[in-house]
Amino acid sequence: MVQPTPAEAAAPPIETASRRAINEDWLATIVGLVLIALVLAGVIGKGLVP
Amino acid sequence: MSGAEIARPVASPIAATGLGRWGWAAASLVLLLALGGLVRYLDTNVAKWFPDVNWLKSVEFPIYAILVGLIAGAILGVLGLRERLKVAFRTEFLIKTGLVLLGASINLAVIARAAGPAILQSVILISSVFLISWWVGGLLGIDMKVRALLSAAVSICGVSAAIAAAGAVSARREQLAYVTSLVIIFALPSIFIQPWLAQTLQLSPVVAGAWIGGNIDTTAAVTAAGTIVGDDALKIAAIVKSTQNAMMGIVAVLLTAYFVFRVERVEGARVGLGALWQRFPKFILGFLAASAVATLFINAAADPKAAGDIVAVAGTNLRVWFFILAFVCIGIEFRPAALREAGARPVAVFAIASVANLVLALILATLLFSGFSLA
Repeated sequence: MVQPTPAEAAAPPIETASRRAINEDWLATIVGLVLIALVLAGVIGKGLVP
Repeated sequence: MSGAEIARPVASPIAATGLGRWGWAAASLVLLLALGGLVRYLDTNVAKWFPDVNWLKSVEFPIYAILVGLIAGAILGVLGLRERLKVAFRTEFLIKTGLVLLGASINLAVIARAAGPAILQSVILISSVFLISWWVGGLLGIDMKVRALLSAAVSICGVSAAIAAAGAVSARREQLAYVTSLVIIFALPSIFIQPWLAQTLQLSPVVAGAWIGGNIDTTAAVTAAGTIVGDDALKIAAIVKSTQNAMMGIVAVLLTAYFVFRVERVEGARVGLGALWQRFPKFILGFLAASAVATLFINAAADPKAAGDIVAVAGTNLRVWFFILAFVCIGIEFRPAALREAGARPVAVFAIASVANLVLALILATLLFSGFSLA
Protein backbone atom coordinates (compact mmCIF):
# COMPACT_ATOMS: atom_id res chain seq x y z
CA MET A 1 0.00 0.00 0.00
CA VAL A 2 2.79 2.41 0.80
CA GLN A 3 4.77 1.43 -2.29
CA PRO A 4 2.43 1.24 -5.29
CA THR A 5 3.20 -1.14 -8.11
CA PRO A 6 3.98 0.40 -11.53
CA ALA A 7 0.51 -0.58 -12.69
CA GLU A 8 -1.05 1.14 -9.68
CA ALA A 9 1.08 4.21 -10.17
CA ALA A 10 -0.10 4.43 -13.76
CA ALA A 11 -3.78 4.18 -12.82
CA PRO A 12 -5.82 7.35 -13.34
CA PRO A 13 -6.73 9.52 -10.34
CA ILE A 14 -10.28 9.61 -9.04
CA GLU A 15 -12.46 11.78 -11.23
CA THR A 16 -15.59 9.89 -12.09
CA ALA A 17 -16.22 8.68 -8.54
CA SER A 18 -16.42 12.19 -7.11
CA ARG A 19 -18.57 13.39 -10.01
CA ARG A 20 -21.00 10.50 -9.40
CA ALA A 21 -21.17 11.30 -5.68
CA ILE A 22 -22.07 14.89 -6.50
CA ASN A 23 -24.77 13.79 -8.94
CA GLU A 24 -26.21 11.38 -6.37
CA ASP A 25 -26.44 14.31 -3.93
CA TRP A 26 -28.61 16.27 -6.35
CA LEU A 27 -30.64 13.20 -7.27
CA ALA A 28 -31.34 12.44 -3.58
CA THR A 29 -32.36 16.06 -3.02
CA ILE A 30 -34.73 16.08 -6.00
CA VAL A 31 -36.28 12.68 -5.23
CA GLY A 32 -36.74 13.55 -1.55
CA LEU A 33 -38.34 16.94 -2.23
CA VAL A 34 -40.60 15.56 -4.99
CA LEU A 35 -41.82 12.84 -2.62
CA ILE A 36 -42.54 15.45 0.08
CA ALA A 37 -44.41 17.59 -2.46
CA LEU A 38 -46.50 14.58 -3.52
CA VAL A 39 -47.30 13.77 0.12
CA LEU A 40 -48.27 17.37 0.94
CA ALA A 41 -50.39 17.52 -2.23
CA GLY A 42 -52.25 14.40 -1.10
CA VAL A 43 -51.08 12.26 -4.04
CA ILE A 44 -49.23 9.87 -1.70
CA GLY A 45 -51.39 9.07 1.30
CA LYS A 46 -50.67 6.93 4.34
CA GLY A 47 -52.44 3.96 2.76
CA LEU A 48 -49.99 3.94 -0.14
CA VAL A 49 -46.94 3.40 2.07
CA PRO A 50 -46.92 -0.12 3.56
CA MET B 1 -22.28 6.07 -3.79
CA SER B 2 -21.36 3.05 -1.82
CA GLY B 3 -17.89 2.22 -0.73
CA ALA B 4 -18.03 -1.27 -2.09
CA GLU B 5 -18.91 0.04 -5.51
CA ILE B 6 -15.78 2.12 -5.53
CA ALA B 7 -13.79 -0.56 -3.80
CA ARG B 8 -14.54 -3.24 -6.35
CA PRO B 9 -14.72 -1.69 -9.77
CA VAL B 10 -14.93 -4.37 -12.43
CA ALA B 11 -15.06 -4.45 -16.15
CA SER B 12 -18.73 -4.68 -17.06
CA PRO B 13 -19.87 -8.17 -16.11
CA ILE B 14 -23.13 -7.55 -17.92
CA ALA B 15 -21.63 -8.21 -21.29
CA ALA B 16 -20.74 -11.72 -20.14
CA THR B 17 -24.31 -12.64 -19.32
CA GLY B 18 -27.54 -13.07 -21.20
CA LEU B 19 -29.68 -10.71 -19.13
CA GLY B 20 -28.37 -7.48 -20.57
CA ARG B 21 -27.82 -4.15 -18.83
CA TRP B 22 -31.47 -3.39 -18.07
CA GLY B 23 -32.23 -6.99 -17.14
CA TRP B 24 -29.60 -6.98 -14.39
CA ALA B 25 -30.67 -3.53 -13.25
CA ALA B 26 -34.30 -4.67 -12.97
CA ALA B 27 -33.28 -7.90 -11.19
CA SER B 28 -31.16 -5.87 -8.78
CA LEU B 29 -34.01 -3.49 -7.97
CA VAL B 30 -36.51 -6.32 -7.52
CA LEU B 31 -34.07 -8.13 -5.21
CA LEU B 32 -33.49 -5.01 -3.11
CA LEU B 33 -37.22 -4.28 -2.79
CA ALA B 34 -37.90 -7.93 -1.90
CA LEU B 35 -35.23 -7.81 0.81
CA GLY B 36 -36.72 -4.54 2.07
CA GLY B 37 -40.15 -6.17 2.20
CA LEU B 38 -38.68 -9.09 4.14
CA VAL B 39 -37.15 -6.67 6.66
CA ARG B 40 -40.50 -4.91 7.11
CA TYR B 41 -42.17 -8.29 7.62
CA LEU B 42 -39.59 -9.40 10.19
CA ASP B 43 -39.76 -6.05 11.99
CA THR B 44 -43.53 -6.37 12.31
CA ASN B 45 -43.75 -10.05 13.22
CA VAL B 46 -40.65 -11.46 14.97
CA ALA B 47 -41.57 -10.03 18.38
CA LYS B 48 -45.10 -11.46 17.95
CA TRP B 49 -43.75 -14.91 17.14
CA PHE B 50 -41.77 -14.97 20.40
CA PRO B 51 -43.94 -13.05 22.92
CA ASP B 52 -41.94 -14.37 25.87
CA VAL B 53 -38.60 -13.03 24.61
CA ASN B 54 -38.70 -9.45 25.89
CA TRP B 55 -35.50 -8.16 24.29
CA LEU B 56 -36.88 -8.89 20.81
CA LYS B 57 -39.42 -6.09 21.34
CA SER B 58 -36.60 -3.55 21.40
CA VAL B 59 -34.91 -4.82 18.22
CA GLU B 60 -35.29 -2.04 15.64
CA PHE B 61 -35.50 -2.37 11.87
CA PRO B 62 -31.85 -1.37 11.17
CA ILE B 63 -30.73 -4.59 12.88
CA TYR B 64 -33.04 -6.78 10.77
CA ALA B 65 -32.04 -4.83 7.66
CA ILE B 66 -28.30 -5.25 8.21
CA LEU B 67 -28.66 -8.93 9.11
CA VAL B 68 -30.79 -9.58 6.01
CA GLY B 69 -28.23 -7.65 3.95
CA LEU B 70 -25.30 -9.62 5.41
CA ILE B 71 -26.99 -12.96 4.65
CA ALA B 72 -28.02 -11.82 1.15
CA GLY B 73 -24.49 -10.52 0.50
CA ALA B 74 -22.96 -13.83 1.60
CA ILE B 75 -25.34 -15.80 -0.64
CA LEU B 76 -24.72 -13.49 -3.60
CA GLY B 77 -20.97 -13.84 -2.98
CA VAL B 78 -21.18 -17.65 -3.01
CA LEU B 79 -23.28 -17.57 -6.19
CA GLY B 80 -20.87 -15.08 -7.80
CA LEU B 81 -23.73 -12.62 -8.38
CA ARG B 82 -22.73 -9.80 -6.04
CA GLU B 83 -21.07 -7.67 -8.72
CA ARG B 84 -23.72 -8.34 -11.35
CA LEU B 85 -26.59 -7.42 -9.05
CA LYS B 86 -25.08 -4.34 -7.44
CA VAL B 87 -26.70 -1.74 -9.73
CA ALA B 88 -29.52 -0.90 -7.28
CA PHE B 89 -27.37 -1.14 -4.14
CA ARG B 90 -26.94 2.64 -3.84
CA THR B 91 -26.39 3.08 -0.12
CA GLU B 92 -25.44 6.75 -0.31
CA PHE B 93 -28.29 7.75 -2.60
CA LEU B 94 -30.85 5.89 -0.49
CA ILE B 95 -29.58 7.28 2.81
CA LYS B 96 -29.38 10.84 1.49
CA THR B 97 -32.92 10.65 0.11
CA GLY B 98 -34.00 9.30 3.50
CA LEU B 99 -32.26 12.21 5.22
CA VAL B 100 -34.00 14.75 2.98
CA LEU B 101 -37.29 13.10 3.99
CA LEU B 102 -36.20 13.15 7.65
CA GLY B 103 -35.79 16.92 7.31
CA ALA B 104 -39.58 17.14 6.97
CA SER B 105 -40.01 15.75 10.47
CA ILE B 106 -37.69 18.31 12.12
CA ASN B 107 -38.93 21.80 12.89
CA LEU B 108 -36.72 24.44 11.27
CA ALA B 109 -36.37 26.21 14.62
CA VAL B 110 -34.77 23.08 16.13
CA ILE B 111 -32.22 22.95 13.29
CA ALA B 112 -31.46 26.65 13.80
CA ARG B 113 -30.96 26.18 17.56
CA ALA B 114 -28.81 23.07 17.10
CA ALA B 115 -26.66 24.64 14.39
CA GLY B 116 -24.42 26.57 16.84
CA PRO B 117 -23.30 23.64 19.01
CA ALA B 118 -23.23 21.34 15.98
CA ILE B 119 -20.86 23.65 14.09
CA LEU B 120 -18.62 24.12 17.14
CA GLN B 121 -18.49 20.36 17.77
CA SER B 122 -17.74 19.67 14.10
CA VAL B 123 -14.93 22.21 13.84
CA ILE B 124 -13.17 20.92 16.97
CA LEU B 125 -13.72 17.25 16.12
CA ILE B 126 -12.75 17.44 12.46
CA SER B 127 -9.57 19.42 13.06
CA SER B 128 -8.47 17.32 16.08
CA VAL B 129 -9.23 13.90 14.63
CA PHE B 130 -7.83 14.82 11.20
CA LEU B 131 -4.53 15.93 12.75
CA ILE B 132 -4.31 12.89 15.05
CA SER B 133 -4.91 10.55 12.11
CA TRP B 134 -2.44 12.48 9.92
CA TRP B 135 0.20 12.37 12.68
CA VAL B 136 -0.25 8.65 13.46
CA GLY B 137 -0.20 7.88 9.72
CA GLY B 138 3.10 9.75 9.45
CA LEU B 139 4.56 7.83 12.40
CA LEU B 140 3.62 4.54 10.71
CA GLY B 141 5.05 5.60 7.34
CA ILE B 142 1.76 5.68 5.41
CA ASP B 143 1.78 7.24 1.94
CA MET B 144 0.82 10.96 2.02
CA LYS B 145 -2.23 10.53 -0.21
CA VAL B 146 -3.53 7.55 1.74
CA ARG B 147 -3.00 9.54 4.95
CA ALA B 148 -5.12 12.35 3.48
CA LEU B 149 -7.89 9.90 2.53
CA LEU B 150 -7.80 8.10 5.88
CA SER B 151 -7.80 11.35 7.86
CA ALA B 152 -10.68 12.86 5.87
CA ALA B 153 -12.70 9.65 6.14
CA VAL B 154 -12.26 9.18 9.86
CA SER B 155 -12.73 12.84 10.80
CA ILE B 156 -15.56 13.96 8.51
CA CYS B 157 -18.00 11.58 6.92
CA GLY B 158 -16.48 8.32 5.74
CA VAL B 159 -16.82 7.34 2.11
CA SER B 160 -18.02 10.75 0.82
CA ALA B 161 -15.11 12.53 2.51
CA ALA B 162 -12.64 9.94 1.20
CA ILE B 163 -13.98 10.53 -2.32
CA ALA B 164 -13.70 14.31 -1.91
CA ALA B 165 -10.17 13.96 -0.49
CA ALA B 166 -9.21 11.58 -3.30
CA GLY B 167 -10.24 14.21 -5.83
CA ALA B 168 -8.39 16.91 -3.88
CA VAL B 169 -5.07 15.06 -3.70
CA SER B 170 -5.39 13.15 -7.00
CA ALA B 171 -5.30 9.78 -5.28
CA ARG B 172 -5.40 6.55 -7.26
CA ARG B 173 -8.52 4.43 -7.48
CA GLU B 174 -7.07 1.54 -5.45
CA GLN B 175 -6.00 3.93 -2.67
CA LEU B 176 -9.60 5.09 -2.42
CA ALA B 177 -10.73 1.46 -2.54
CA TYR B 178 -8.60 0.54 0.51
CA VAL B 179 -9.87 3.46 2.53
CA THR B 180 -13.55 3.04 1.63
CA SER B 181 -13.33 -0.63 2.54
CA LEU B 182 -11.86 0.32 5.92
CA VAL B 183 -14.63 2.85 6.49
CA ILE B 184 -17.32 0.23 5.90
CA ILE B 185 -15.58 -2.40 8.02
CA PHE B 186 -15.34 0.00 10.97
CA ALA B 187 -18.83 1.45 10.50
CA LEU B 188 -20.73 -1.81 10.78
CA PRO B 189 -19.82 -2.74 14.39
CA SER B 190 -20.16 0.88 15.52
CA ILE B 191 -23.84 0.79 14.50
CA PHE B 192 -24.43 -1.70 17.32
CA ILE B 193 -21.67 -0.79 19.80
CA GLN B 194 -22.34 2.92 20.13
CA PRO B 195 -26.09 2.70 20.93
CA TRP B 196 -25.19 0.05 23.51
CA LEU B 197 -22.48 2.30 24.99
CA ALA B 198 -24.90 5.25 25.04
CA GLN B 199 -27.38 3.14 26.97
CA THR B 200 -24.68 1.84 29.33
CA LEU B 201 -23.47 5.38 30.02
CA GLN B 202 -27.11 6.46 30.48
CA LEU B 203 -26.76 9.34 28.03
CA SER B 204 -29.83 11.40 27.21
CA PRO B 205 -31.19 10.83 23.67
CA VAL B 206 -29.93 14.27 22.59
CA VAL B 207 -26.37 13.73 23.88
CA ALA B 208 -26.35 10.18 22.47
CA GLY B 209 -27.45 11.55 19.08
CA ALA B 210 -24.75 14.25 19.12
CA TRP B 211 -22.15 11.62 20.10
CA ILE B 212 -23.22 9.24 17.34
CA GLY B 213 -23.39 12.03 14.75
CA GLY B 214 -19.96 13.28 15.78
CA ASN B 215 -18.20 9.96 15.95
CA ILE B 216 -19.47 7.41 13.42
CA ASP B 217 -17.95 8.04 10.01
CA THR B 218 -20.53 7.17 7.40
CA THR B 219 -23.84 8.99 7.25
CA ALA B 220 -25.64 5.68 6.70
CA ALA B 221 -24.15 4.15 9.85
CA VAL B 222 -24.95 7.31 11.85
CA THR B 223 -28.55 7.02 10.72
CA ALA B 224 -28.73 3.34 11.63
CA ALA B 225 -27.21 3.86 15.09
CA GLY B 226 -29.38 6.93 15.73
CA THR B 227 -32.50 4.98 14.75
CA ILE B 228 -31.60 2.23 17.21
CA VAL B 229 -31.33 4.77 20.06
CA GLY B 230 -34.60 6.50 19.12
CA ASP B 231 -36.26 9.25 17.11
CA ASP B 232 -34.88 12.18 19.14
CA ALA B 233 -31.35 10.81 18.97
CA LEU B 234 -31.74 10.29 15.22
CA LYS B 235 -32.79 13.91 14.67
CA ILE B 236 -29.80 15.35 16.54
CA ALA B 237 -27.44 12.80 14.98
CA ALA B 238 -28.67 13.82 11.52
CA ILE B 239 -28.18 17.54 12.24
CA VAL B 240 -24.66 16.98 13.64
CA LYS B 241 -23.66 14.67 10.78
CA SER B 242 -25.07 17.05 8.17
CA THR B 243 -23.00 19.84 9.70
CA GLN B 244 -19.88 17.67 9.41
CA ASN B 245 -20.82 16.82 5.83
CA ALA B 246 -21.12 20.52 5.03
CA MET B 247 -17.53 21.06 6.14
CA MET B 248 -16.24 18.49 3.68
CA GLY B 249 -15.80 21.19 1.03
CA ILE B 250 -13.58 23.30 3.27
CA VAL B 251 -11.32 20.33 4.10
CA ALA B 252 -11.16 19.33 0.41
CA VAL B 253 -10.06 22.84 -0.57
CA LEU B 254 -7.44 22.96 2.21
CA LEU B 255 -6.14 19.53 1.16
CA THR B 256 -5.98 20.57 -2.48
CA ALA B 257 -4.03 23.69 -1.54
CA TYR B 258 -1.66 21.73 0.73
CA PHE B 259 -0.87 19.12 -1.93
CA VAL B 260 -0.55 21.64 -4.77
CA PHE B 261 1.63 24.12 -2.90
CA ARG B 262 3.52 22.05 -0.31
CA VAL B 263 3.68 18.40 -1.42
CA GLU B 264 3.76 18.55 -5.21
CA ARG B 265 4.85 22.22 -5.48
CA VAL B 266 3.02 22.88 -8.77
CA GLU B 267 4.34 26.06 -10.41
CA GLY B 268 1.73 28.78 -10.95
CA ALA B 269 -1.14 26.64 -9.65
CA ARG B 270 -4.32 28.23 -8.26
CA VAL B 271 -6.98 26.75 -6.03
CA GLY B 272 -10.33 28.41 -6.69
CA LEU B 273 -13.13 28.84 -4.18
CA GLY B 274 -15.44 27.20 -6.73
CA ALA B 275 -14.16 23.92 -5.35
CA LEU B 276 -15.96 24.72 -2.10
CA TRP B 277 -19.32 24.66 -3.85
CA GLN B 278 -18.31 21.69 -5.97
CA ARG B 279 -17.54 19.64 -2.82
CA PHE B 280 -20.53 20.85 -0.84
CA PRO B 281 -22.93 17.92 -0.20
CA LYS B 282 -26.05 19.21 -1.92
CA PHE B 283 -28.46 16.90 -0.13
CA ILE B 284 -28.07 19.13 2.94
CA LEU B 285 -29.90 21.84 0.99
CA GLY B 286 -32.70 19.31 0.45
CA PHE B 287 -32.70 18.47 4.18
CA LEU B 288 -33.07 22.17 5.09
CA ALA B 289 -35.66 22.81 2.35
CA ALA B 290 -37.72 19.82 3.53
CA SER B 291 -37.67 21.13 7.09
CA ALA B 292 -38.66 24.65 5.97
CA VAL B 293 -41.50 23.41 3.74
CA ALA B 294 -42.90 21.06 6.40
CA THR B 295 -42.63 23.72 9.14
CA LEU B 296 -44.48 26.26 6.96
CA PHE B 297 -47.09 23.64 5.99
CA ILE B 298 -47.83 22.80 9.64
CA ASN B 299 -47.73 26.41 10.87
CA ALA B 300 -50.08 27.59 8.11
CA ALA B 301 -52.60 24.75 8.58
CA ALA B 302 -55.95 25.30 10.33
CA ASP B 303 -55.43 21.95 12.05
CA PRO B 304 -51.70 21.61 12.81
CA LYS B 305 -52.13 18.08 14.18
CA ALA B 306 -53.76 16.84 10.97
CA ALA B 307 -51.05 18.64 8.96
CA GLY B 308 -48.40 16.96 11.13
CA ASP B 309 -49.96 13.57 10.34
CA ILE B 310 -49.74 14.30 6.61
CA VAL B 311 -46.08 15.39 6.94
CA ALA B 312 -45.33 12.20 8.88
CA VAL B 313 -46.13 10.13 5.78
CA ALA B 314 -43.00 11.62 4.19
CA GLY B 315 -40.93 12.33 7.30
CA THR B 316 -41.50 8.91 8.88
CA ASN B 317 -43.26 6.29 6.70
CA LEU B 318 -41.43 6.93 3.41
CA ARG B 319 -38.17 7.77 5.18
CA VAL B 320 -38.17 4.41 6.99
CA TRP B 321 -38.43 2.63 3.63
CA PHE B 322 -35.42 4.45 2.23
CA PHE B 323 -33.47 3.72 5.41
CA ILE B 324 -34.43 0.02 5.30
CA LEU B 325 -33.16 -0.27 1.72
CA ALA B 326 -29.95 1.61 2.58
CA PHE B 327 -29.25 -0.59 5.62
CA VAL B 328 -29.81 -3.73 3.55
CA CYS B 329 -27.20 -2.36 1.13
CA ILE B 330 -24.75 -1.81 4.03
CA GLY B 331 -25.06 -5.50 4.90
CA ILE B 332 -24.72 -6.65 1.31
CA GLU B 333 -21.59 -4.58 0.72
CA PHE B 334 -19.78 -5.71 3.88
CA ARG B 335 -16.56 -7.48 2.90
CA PRO B 336 -14.35 -8.53 5.84
CA ALA B 337 -11.64 -9.61 3.37
CA ALA B 338 -10.97 -5.93 2.72
CA LEU B 339 -9.21 -5.70 6.10
CA ARG B 340 -6.61 -8.23 4.96
CA GLU B 341 -6.19 -6.46 1.63
CA ALA B 342 -5.69 -3.06 3.29
CA GLY B 343 -2.78 -4.25 5.46
CA ALA B 344 -2.06 -3.70 9.14
CA ARG B 345 -0.77 -0.13 9.21
CA PRO B 346 -3.78 1.69 7.67
CA VAL B 347 -6.03 -0.42 9.91
CA ALA B 348 -3.98 0.68 12.94
CA VAL B 349 -4.21 4.36 11.92
CA PHE B 350 -7.94 4.08 11.41
CA ALA B 351 -8.43 2.27 14.73
CA ILE B 352 -6.38 4.78 16.76
CA ALA B 353 -8.09 7.76 15.13
CA SER B 354 -11.50 6.13 15.68
CA VAL B 355 -10.84 5.70 19.42
CA ALA B 356 -9.68 9.34 19.67
CA ASN B 357 -12.81 10.37 17.77
CA LEU B 358 -15.02 8.32 20.10
CA VAL B 359 -13.61 9.91 23.27
CA LEU B 360 -13.47 13.49 21.94
CA ALA B 361 -16.97 13.27 20.49
CA LEU B 362 -18.35 12.05 23.82
CA ILE B 363 -16.74 14.94 25.71
CA LEU B 364 -17.96 17.53 23.19
CA ALA B 365 -21.48 16.07 22.91
CA THR B 366 -21.81 16.13 26.71
CA LEU B 367 -20.49 19.71 26.99
CA LEU B 368 -22.42 21.18 24.08
CA PHE B 369 -25.72 19.27 24.06
CA SER B 370 -26.46 18.45 27.71
CA GLY B 371 -28.94 21.33 28.09
CA PHE B 372 -30.41 21.07 24.58
CA SER B 373 -34.12 20.40 24.20
CA LEU B 374 -35.97 19.29 21.08
CA ALA B 375 -39.25 20.74 22.35
